Amino acid sequence: MIRIEKISKDLGEFFLRDVNLEIDDGEYFMVLGPTGAGKTILLETIAGIYRADSGRIVLNERDITDVPPRERNIGIVYQDYVLFPFLTVEENIGFGLKSRKVAKREIKHRVDELANLMGVSHLLHRYPGTLSGGEQQRIAIARALSMEPNVLLLDEPLSALDPQTSERLRQELKKVHSVMKTTTIHVTHSFEEAFLLGSRMAVMNKGAIIQVGEPNDVFRKPESEFVADFLGVGNLFQGESIINNGVAYIDLDGIKIASTTLMPGSVHVSIRPEDILVSTAEIASSARNSFKGVIQSVIDVGTTVRIAVDVGINAPFAVAITKQSFEDMKLEKGKEVYITFKASTVHVF
Amino acid sequence: MLSSLLLASFILTMIICVVTHTTPHALITSILSEEIQFAIRLSLTTAVVSTILCIAISIPSAYALARYNFFGKSVVNTILDVPLALPPLVAGVGLLIFGMTSFGRGLAEVGLDFVFTPLGIVIAQFFVNVPFMFRILRGTFQSINPRYEHVAETLGCTEAQAFWRVTLPMSKNGLLAGSIITWSKGIGEFGAALMVAGATRMKTETLPISLYLNMSCGELNLAIATATILIIISLISLFVFERYGGFTRVF
Repeated sequence: MIRIEKISKDLGEFFLRDVNLEIDDGEYFMVLGPTGAGKTILLETIAGIYRADSGRIVLNERDITDVPPRERNIGIVYQDYVLFPFLTVEENIGFGLKSRKVAKREIKHRVDELANLMGVSHLLHRYPGTLSGGEQQRIAIARALSMEPNVLLLDEPLSALDPQTSERLRQELKKVHSVMKTTTIHVTHSFEEAFLLGSRMAVMNKGAIIQVGEPNDVFRKPESEFVADFLGVGNLFQGESIINNGVAYIDLDGIKIASTTLMPGSVHVSIRPEDILVSTAEIASSARNSFKGVIQSVIDVGTTVRIAVDVGINAPFAVAITKQSFEDMKLEKGKEVYITFKASTVHVF
Repeated sequence: MLSSLLLASFILTMIICVVTHTTPHALITSILSEEIQFAIRLSLTTAVVSTILCIAISIPSAYALARYNFFGKSVVNTILDVPLALPPLVAGVGLLIFGMTSFGRGLAEVGLDFVFTPLGIVIAQFFVNVPFMFRILRGTFQSINPRYEHVAETLGCTEAQAFWRVTLPMSKNGLLAGSIITWSKGIGEFGAALMVAGATRMKTETLPISLYLNMSCGELNLAIATATILIIISLISLFVFERYGGFTRVF
């Protein structure tokens, strides 16, 4: 278990302020936040690259606040890979074991094993400069895993990759985690990654942790306007998608939502609250999705009003409308309304 | 375009004038003479030793100035550039006077006598050339993302090991470029060496000093031989520098 207690660190442009986190053994923990939130410096402070100005870091009941990086056994993988360009892939993966003075044959054996796990066995004699981003990132992950680290830190590992590569590597991260069970802290600015990989997540902004919880809870119950705005989700459902005539229909246990994203099988669906129209009567329009429901709650958040509309499925729809239209339509709790949104606004992943 | 062609042909003419001034036979005889052989050996040795000294001193100081912030950093940076701007003769006079202080005489007593000795040549070359090595290495270290060292440290390295196993191999091109420049400038060093080490035949007679001595007493064949060797050395260094380290900015 790794426990971060009131860690502060000031590097000028980037800083941490009283960060508290507790991550269990074997957990896949996500840290989500915008650029400049202090995510990278949080990881680098955990790794020991920066010494915290105040606070403590406790790893498996041992205070490691002042322990140098090499004695922490915490691995780090950066967005830009940081592979040693003058070493072959094999030497890169074996770099840490060589520091530990592991016997050559044993290093070879471990490198082969890891290369196999990450699917880079055919690249062992190449130099990193000649490889694609996805390949380099797999090698960087293998190199970090070679130390059997207590904690694996991933700093936006998928952000520099194209969407297909990013998705494949994301699935592999999940697979690797289920095999190795390494405690992982993964930093990202993509809510999809956080949702698909994390067992728990923290949202960070301006050097502070804003909210911690299971992704589902954080997405559904943002505790601050920042989290709600940053995640921009509000509506997140799971269902079975069936493709019919070029349109995907996702069955959400009661209603069927149409989407232009054609991804069959078990999927997640999200709709931004501001993409949903509310009307007091059924409207005829080109939008494929229209459902009748009852206003369950009303939250006033300044210039906009967030209302929750129960349409008879397990969770209500969050809808954001301007205060002006809220007042004009005389909406209130318990009132019957129609919600309407276009198939193209339904995000499937 | 015309002016660049003119300039190029001017440079070429100069070189050809020097090389073709005597007969090939006289050239070879001169090169094989005892005096020129001595000058070649002395020049090569002193340049190699002063280059090694430049590397040894520049690596830690360039690294510190590339990576760390400390009080007085910009002042140190400026002072380290001074020998670059100073006329080598002035640098030589400075070194000579330093050698005659009581500290300098103390050094001479423990065997580090550099006034009018071959050691003086090494010191003069070092003093004049170390800014080149320093600047190239500082630029090289600055261009290497510190994350490489960070990753190495999480992979079981101490800071020193991370430098040795990662930063230094990544600085290979800069080191090579710096060494070639320092070495070839060391071979050609005249002013400062003349002041500190003097121009004693067969004692402190490097190639440029030999050129100067033979020119002043009318031994034209010997002087041309020295000049030819210096031209060949410069051209080879230029080629190697362009080929392997041309990307490094010196100024």
